[in-house]
Amino acid sequence: MTAMLEVEKLEQKFDVSGGLLDRLSFSGGRILSPRRVVQAVNGVSFDVQQGEVLALVGESGCGKSTVAKTIARIHNPTGGTIRIDGQEVQGLSDRELLPVRSKMQMIFQDPYASLNPRQRVRDIVAEPLLEQTGNRAEARDKTEALLARVGLNAEHAGRYPHQFSGGQRQRIGIARALSVNPRLIIADEPVSALDVSIQAQILNLMMDLRDEFGLAYLFISHDLSVVHHIADRVAVMYLGFMVETAPRDTLFAMPRHPYTRALLSAAPTLDPAKKARQIELTGEVPSALSLPSGCCFRTRCPFAWDRCAAERPALRDTGDGQQVACHLIDEPERDKP
Amino acid sequence: MKDMTETLLRVDDLRTHFHTFAGTVKAVDGVSFSLAKGEIMGLVGESGGGKSVVGFSILGLIDSPGRIESGQILFDGEDLAKASEDRMHKIRGKEIAMIFQDPMTSLNPLHPIGRQMDEMLRLHTDLDARGRRARCIRMLEDVGISQAEDRLDSYPHQFSGGMRQRVVIAIAMLAEPRLIVADEPTTALDVTIQAQILKLIRRQVREHGASMILVTHDLAVVAEMADHITVLYCGKVVERGPTRQVIDDPRHPYTAGLIASIPDPSDRKHRLDQIPGAVPDIRKLPRGCNFRDRCPRAQALCAEREPDLETQEPGRSAACHFPVEGGGT
Ligand SMILES: Nc1ncnc2c1ncn2[C@@H]1O[C@H](COP(=O)(O)OP(=O)(O)O)[C@@H](O)[C@H]1O
Ligand SMILES: Nc1ncnc2c1ncn2[C@@H]1O[C@H](COP(=O)(O)OP(=O)(O)O)[C@@H](O)[C@H]1O
Ligand code: SF4
Ligand code: SF4
Ligand SMILES: [Mg+2]
Ligand SMILES: [Mg+2]
Repeated sequence: MTAMLEVEKLEQKFDVSGGLLDRLSFSGGRILSPRRVVQAVNGVSFDVQQGEVLALVGESGCGKSTVAKTIARIHNPTGGTIRIDGQEVQGLSDRELLPVRSKMQMIFQDPYASLNPRQRVRDIVAEPLLEQTGNRAEARDKTEALLARVGLNAEHAGRYPHQFSGGQRQRIGIARALSVNPRLIIADEPVSALDVSIQAQILNLMMDLRDEFGLAYLFISHDLSVVHHIADRVAVMYLGFMVETAPRDTLFAMPRHPYTRALLSAAPTLDPAKKARQIELTGEVPSALSLPSGCCFRTRCPFAWDRCAAERPALRDTGDGQQVACHLIDEPERDKP
Repeated sequence: MKDMTETLLRVDDLRTHFHTFAGTVKAVDGVSFSLAKGEIMGLVGESGGGKSVVGFSILGLIDSPGRIESGQILFDGEDLAKASEDRMHKIRGKEIAMIFQDPMTSLNPLHPIGRQMDEMLRLHTDLDARGRRARCIRMLEDVGISQAEDRLDSYPHQFSGGMRQRVVIAIAMLAEPRLIVADEPTTALDVTIQAQILKLIRRQVREHGASMILVTHDLAVVAEMADHITVLYCGKVVERGPTRQVIDDPRHPYTAGLIASIPDPSDRKHRLDQIPGAVPDIRKLPRGCNFRDRCPRAQALCAEREPDLETQEPGRSAACHFPVEGGGT
């Protein structure tokens, strides 16, 4: 079976040097013009199978949204390949992308920012479908059905986004994404801005839709309890690198990468007594403008030794569908406090 | 010997309303609780519940169109609800410190942090310049800022979000306040940084014997930090009690619903229990119980009469005609 989404060695760099004048600086009488490049995503590979939920986790700035936007072709990748349902999409023109867009849609954290404030809900929801088919009558019927499916009524169709609460706006965003019968939905922190009772409603809706339509999700979140609830598999990013991927239960029961372990022990829980043994982190994430040599995590890793600065660990299979990028795999005797 | 249950703060039937063109917002409507010396109390509930307004009321920071309509805020016996702005100005910072979600609420972007720390000490202690400088350095080291002496000359924008929050905590602790009101202090931070900051706050509070009101929407944070929990819904206290008891065995259906809607990694379900509907418009609250449109236990009485906050057992209270019986959910 073809994977719904395959990402190979994806790379995304942003040149933030600014104009020529910003770049001019003097050193020892010579003009230098240093380029400043954000290395947001550094050779990330993963796949999402049909009907699977892959959660992408990691702290802010680690490149999750950039991965999502690059797959959705809001950005063009600076390196690597992206295949959607077997078809390579990097480099395709907008017109060539149109059929791909009927397979893949995106929903965002802030539905308000992503919904046109001057459009009525019915037009917002119908837009992706109209783009595909141009058939207004079909779009109208479908919109009504979709709004009902996500828990909104016909009366809502004539209103504008600002007349809705955060949870309702997320329902509108979901209806819009569903309009083209996609098979993959990229959801970038879809419940992060919602209160927990509303978050539960949206998560339940997303899970129901997945069962009903056989959807696959690339689900981005920084909330590990949400991830545990929704994911089949979890991928952990740090500073633009993939550091670990594993089936959900494996990742939560036996995290292997020191960063994953730290993340799990830092997350607050309702029952702190049951918490995993703590790996406490000190310090902060380095800048994506100048990556550390070797392992991306070494500046905060309690286990780091000289090899970690000299050699970048590759993401390797460790069995049972788990992949880890850490030198401790070769030298497990160092895995002691 | 000092009595451990000595009360530091007692809020009694506090009502803080906003008189807007669209009607009166009864943001806080009859809230009562007390806080012992050395206690950390979590003030929780969904957005719009009135948590921040309770905090601002205690700090005397309610501005027009808002007003404290009635009630008492007894801080060590003194009623802050009636204190003059001059008096409140003296109390803020010295007696009661505040930490907000956005550290820039408390920091001046135009001054180096050393100067802002020094001002705090000049205002609230009689140390000389050298003494103050030494205190500032020690405090920065205490909150985990390395090369503290050099960082005194740095401006707030030269720190990351997590580091800025550390600076705010350092400034807050300098005056050795007796009460700290922290409003979503880690909500904007990543979990590994959040864990560091929470640990720091807890240590500072415990070491200095201060009390704290921790305002947050995150029950898990409260579970790790607080001795007691007060749950707000639509401007009213719906449940109060010791943290572990409230979380393991909630009595109010709203508290029970909130806890059940948080995914529990040790008990994964295909569907989460959800509270139906959404928080009502606070200007158009239903008759009777504010929660009745969303409550699975509602009966006819709930539409007729608003439940009072009643003691369920020593130390625990809930405002519900048909509270969830013990034994958990
Ligand atoms: N358009 C952009 N221009 C420059 N830098 C960017 C841009 N988008 C993201 N970045 C940078 O790329 C890194 C990854 O950001 P992002 O993908 O938003 O992370 P996340 O979603 O995990 O929080 C960050 O360092 C961010 O500042
Ligand atoms: N300055 C204000 N003017 C009008 N209404 C306000 C003002 N500040 C707060 N409110 C209202 O008071 C209620 C409680 O707000 P708040 O205390 O901020 O809630 P929480 O902190 O629990 O999210 C909300 O309905 C809010 O809209
Ligand atoms: S490779 Fe080294 S620095 Fe990186 S996570 Fe493993 S032990 Fe830590
Ligand atoms: S008083 Fe009635 S409606 Fe209100 S919480 Fe209790 S049972 Fe539910
Ligand atoms: Mg993001
Ligand atoms: Mg608030």
